[in-house]
Amino acid sequence: MFYTNMVLITIYRFNYRATAYMVKNGFYQFLNWFDERAWYPLGRIVGGTVYPGLMLTSGSIHYILHLLHINVHIRDICVFLAPVFSGLTAISTYLLTKELWSAGAGLFAACFIAIVPGYISRSVAGSYDNEGIAIFALQFTYYLWIKSVKTGSIFWAVAAALSYFYMVSAWGGYVFIINLIPLHVFVLLLMGRYSNKLFVSYTTFYILGLILSMQIPFVGFQPIRTSEHMAAGGVFALMFAVCFLKHLQSVTSKSEFKSLVIFGTLIAAGVVFLAVVLFTYAGYIAPWSGRFYSLWDTGYAKIHIPIIASVSEHQPTTWFSFFFDLHILVSTFPAGLWYCIKNINDERVFVVLYALSAVYFAGVMVRLMLTLTPVVCILSGIAFSNLIEFYLREDENGRVEESEEEEHTTPSKRLYDKAGRVPKMKHEQQKESSESSNAIGANLRSIVSVVVLLLLMLFAVHCTWVTSNAYSSPSVVLASYGADGSRQILDDFREGYYWLSQNTDDSARVMSWWDYGYQIAGMANRTTLVDNNTWNNSHIALVGKAMSSNETAAHEIMTMLDVDYVLVIFGGVIGYSGDDINKFLWMVRIAEGEHPKDIKESDYFTEQGEFRVDAEGSPTLLNCLMYKLSYYRFGELKLDYRSPAGFDRTRNAVIGNKDFHLTYLEEAYTTEHWLVRIYRVKKKDEFNRPRIPVASRVIKSPNFVSKKSTKRKKGTIKNKPVVVKGKRV
Amino acid sequence: MSLLGTLLAIPQIRIIKPSWVKQPSAMTMFSFVLVSYFLVTGGIIYDVIVEPPSVGSTTDERGHSRPVAFMPYRVNGQYIMEGLASSFLFSMGGLGFIILDNIHSSSTPKLNRLLITIVGFICILVSFSTTWIFMRMKLPGYLQS
Repeated sequence: MFYTNMVLITIYRFNYRATAYMVKNGFYQFLNWFDERAWYPLGRIVGGTVYPGLMLTSGSIHYILHLLHINVHIRDICVFLAPVFSGLTAISTYLLTKELWSAGAGLFAACFIAIVPGYISRSVAGSYDNEGIAIFALQFTYYLWIKSVKTGSIFWAVAAALSYFYMVSAWGGYVFIINLIPLHVFVLLLMGRYSNKLFVSYTTFYILGLILSMQIPFVGFQPIRTSEHMAAGGVFALMFAVCFLKHLQSVTSKSEFKSLVIFGTLIAAGVVFLAVVLFTYAGYIAPWSGRFYSLWDTGYAKIHIPIIASVSEHQPTTWFSFFFDLHILVSTFPAGLWYCIKNINDERVFVVLYALSAVYFAGVMVRLMLTLTPVVCILSGIAFSNLIEFYLREDENGRVEESEEEEHTTPSKRLYDKAGRVPKMKHEQQKESSESSNAIGANLRSIVSVVVLLLLMLFAVHCTWVTSNAYSSPSVVLASYGADGSRQILDDFREGYYWLSQNTDDSARVMSWWDYGYQIAGMANRTTLVDNNTWNNSHIALVGKAMSSNETAAHEIMTMLDVDYVLVIFGGVIGYSGDDINKFLWMVRIAEGEHPKDIKESDYFTEQGEFRVDAEGSPTLLNCLMYKLSYYRFGELKLDYRSPAGFDRTRNAVIGNKDFHLTYLEEAYTTEHWLVRIYRVKKKDEFNRPRIPVASRVIKSPNFVSKKSTKRKKGTIKNKPVVVKGKRV
Repeated sequence: MSLLGTLLAIPQIRIIKPSWVKQPSAMTMFSFVLVSYFLVTGGIIYDVIVEPPSVGSTTDERGHSRPVAFMPYRVNGQYIMEGLASSFLFSMGGLGFIILDNIHSSSTPKLNRLLITIVGFICILVSFSTTWIFMRMKLPGYLQS
């Protein structure tokens, strides 16, 4: 299936719009850009609320190409940025694995990350998102960090800090790095693996990384003010304490001083920890923000910040996602971990910690599967390379030794006058027996290697299938399969957005749920109330409240917010499950969080605690705005002969409230498959205007009766000045 | 040295590290890791947050209620048992790879080596093919077209 670049990039329209703005107006204008077309009526300061790394990367590529007189449109650069960066990711994974294990394992890891579905989802052309470049930055920072730990040189530590700076500018996930590297250092200290190399590399990295990360406007003073970054600072202080104690130890000769060093370290760690806790308590350090807190207390987000829990990418992961995104690697991962733990050294401690934390985080959120994927590739590369090395290479050695032995034994049989062979020592005998059994296992070996290669081939087949089926069509175009297996393309989203851009006023404000904010802003070019950058919870809650209250109350909110059009996504006709009714409970929850008096989640359930749209559903639900907008005129629609009218295919139910009219809104447009429905909000003078009898009117309308009739075609002009000769007007 | 000696009097104390505090061995670390891996890939966090039933049930055309082990078509949903079953298979596959590695080091006789290889192999193959079947149950049309 071929899509034009314009279609591919649609869901990332905001990033593209920002990049185009930056290329057109320059970087400083971009930092000061105030976007008044989003978050109406608040607006959004884009420069200060965005990670600029993505825009800067594509902007600088554009700049360099234009210096060389290669005139490429910025859109094409944006579309192909992710594939280019996935290539770079493969290279940096190779380098990292090579540092950790061997070049062979590195090649395996690079091959894995090139095709593994968990990363392909972010690296297909058109996926113009922060994560695409961030995974490269993540891997490269880790490579440089490992390099600097190994060499202890300031050069590599500075390089790691610079790479970390790039990561900070690109993605909010940089917090993972700034917690994992201190954790690595801390565990090394606990294991008694302190060295001057570690001291040099960590202190250099931390100070430079801290200063550089604070240069990003969106990050600002967070690295010294928030709890997420405090672990790094604490380990930094601890490093100095340990270094001082080690120095003391080196100048004294007391043997018991060794244990004093250990206890001194523990005490220092306790002091640092208490200091951080005290500062947090006193308010100098902001406590964990909800987004990070939800990683530890997994139930936290569901109760306190529904806006985070409502995103499907923030759901906890099921086994299916693990297998779908990693396939065979999911079971070679423990094997690679086993090799690393068995042959531990300084840098393998790092990869073990990386693996453990990433597995946990991936279990909490589907989205963090992305940080797990690289480490799974590294460890699986190690596992496969060891296995293949053992089963392919030692085979030859065994044969060579066997033939050598034959050469030794044959002459001794012939030349009996030679001194007889010395009886073998015990360990030699053992060695021989093991060698011979190796040689006998040659058949087995070839079977093993063939089956392993077969598994790898099946992995490649799985990756190809997943990529072509799940990750290659842009999410704005829905592909569905008919009963005969033919592929149908549902282009309702673009139809709806195009209608908006052609038939509404340029300044019209469109209300929709925040998922569609960027799409409306990008494709229909209209002002939105809320969008995918969910920085203002109360504003989103207001929209949620409007959607979940009845029409009258909703109209008040909508006039308050100057809404002209309302857009809802309705999948009941085609059976599309990601529509607004299925998201509706989140709207209710978010609204309840801010307006607990007006909206109650329990009102939307039946008495049995079910969420139903059919006749047994709760009356509050059947009369709320979202329900009415989704199902307006749906009760008349008969989809096929077997099902009754008003049968919702997504929820497999006949809707409960079929016969209703809209007072405050009117249907403006509904797309072919009813996926996008647009309503116009009536102005105050258009609805509910009772007719006052002429007698009781305060302002009398002039009694003018037209004299024009079918016979008299001649018209008259109203209020025509009557000119009488000889009189002044 | 003398300056330090005058500044700091080294305390004459003998602190004995408790005997149970020692670096855990590689094997304990790894088994800890493998158990936690088993739990996480089984979606234990999902089970805690969403609280799905352990097995689902449907009503067939005669009105009998039948248990259903897998939540079909739902990529983001699972029952507790299906998650545990598949993560058991993942760990079994991982163990198979580790067992295959173990012939490397040990100086075991020939027959044992053969047995170890076969056991490792069976682990990998069974885990792989069963997960495949699970995928087909979860997502009919997997690897087709």
